[in-house]
Amino acid sequence: MGKRNNSDELVIANKKLIFEDKEKQKRAAELAIANKELIFQTKEKQKRAAELVIANKELVFQTKEKKKRADELLIANKELVFQNEEKEKRALELIIANKEIAYQTELAKHAAELEAVNKELESFTYSVSHDLRAPLRAINGFTKVFLEDYRAQFDEDAKEILEEIIVNSKKMGELIDNLLEFSHVGKKHVSMVIIDMQELISCVIKELKQQDPHRTISFDIKKLHNIKGDKNMMKQVFINLLSNAVKYTSKIPRACIEIGSSNSNGFCTYYVKDNGAGFDMRYYDKLFGVFQRLHSSNEFEGTGVGLAIIQKIISKHNGKVWAQGKVDEGACFYISMPNIKQ
Amino acid sequence: MTKKDIQILLVEDNKSDAMLTIRALKKHNLANNLIHLIDGAQALDFIFGKGDFEGRDIENKPKVIFLDLKMPKVSGLEVLKIIKKDERTKLIPVVMMTSSKEESDIVESHKLGVNSYVVKPVDFDNFSKIIAELGFYWLVVNNPPNL
Repeated sequence: MGKRNNSDELVIANKKLIFEDKEKQKRAAELAIANKELIFQTKEKQKRAAELVIANKELVFQTKEKKKRADELLIANKELVFQNEEKEKRALELIIANKEIAYQTELAKHAAELEAVNKELESFTYSVSHDLRAPLRAINGFTKVFLEDYRAQFDEDAKEILEEIIVNSKKMGELIDNLLEFSHVGKKHVSMVIIDMQELISCVIKELKQQDPHRTISFDIKKLHNIKGDKNMMKQVFINLLSNAVKYTSKIPRACIEIGSSNSNGFCTYYVKDNGAGFDMRYYDKLFGVFQRLHSSNEFEGTGVGLAIIQKIISKHNGKVWAQGKVDEGACFYISMPNIKQ
Repeated sequence: MTKKDIQILLVEDNKSDAMLTIRALKKHNLANNLIHLIDGAQALDFIFGKGDFEGRDIENKPKVIFLDLKMPKVSGLEVLKIIKKDERTKLIPVVMMTSSKEESDIVESHKLGVNSYVVKPVDFDNFSKIIAELGFYWLVVNNPPNL
């Protein structure tokens, strides 16, 4: 009995052991599977980690690339801003240049217009000189022929009328000549030389005396400084000034004409003074105008161009002209221009 | 046409100027054998024996030509230019007669070889005097080469 019990117990223990063993084997198998699973998982994780490392590296690289690109874009942007500024500057310059061109074009147009007007004026002068003088010559000439050929048949009245026609046509001829002379002075070129004024004045006085030998005029010639100017033009100036003085003293018994000069402040000033008819200072602004006269031509002959010519010549010499006068007490004309040292 | 030598050839389109010129010359007995033509084309025909003057003996040359500057068709300057360029006619004295004092005309005429350039004055006494002096000078005083 005991043995049986023992044996049973042993069987049971054995069975239990077998069972336990089986359990352990099962467990071991399970563990082995679990282990394998773990190994696999570990491997997977390692693989994933490796992949992540690669991905990470890729990201780092991409980030760097992006930064680089951003930097590049920043530079490009700055470049664009600079270019933009340059373009704006250039545009402004172009606008200015454009305006300049427009202005130049306008100027050229203006110059062309002026030239056209000038040409027109020249052809007008030409026509005046050619075409107006011819009929006048015919009027003057045939009236004289008429008077000459039929003199015996005219009474005094008729002769006087014919004389008037002759005188007036001649006068108109002189007006045309003076007008042309005036327009020519403006066109003439000034050739500057040092002028011996002593010689020039005495030459002019000599010519004037020859024109009117019956007059006795006392010429008082003071110090005459030499001047720099166009000799022909300056001679014209003094012919006009002195012949005016001679003309406007023609009605007084003792005509006196004084000529003198002074040098100061870089200017040489000449004066021609007479004790003749003088003029009214109230009408001073008309004195130097073309065809303007302060005396009637019945009183004193003339066309009113002489002083205008003087003014034109003197302004061509960068000088000035002025005058003082009083009715019946005489006149004094001044011309002032840069002296020879200038 | 006269067979006598031509003394003066007057080329003038303005009738009045022509009459006054001829009168001034006549007064001083200088208008014998004067020929008056009224424009530059006629003058050239006469001088070179063409057109209306076909067959004219061109060796019968005027002693002087009084030539108006401003004429219709062919101007005085053009006539002057042609006369002075042609060997046959270049020695004929030419007096340019004009109303103009224009510098350009004076310079141009002299460049073309004009012998005198005269501005006709408005005043007839002066005009007459100048015409007489010119006629006298070119017909009497001046000794021409054998034309």
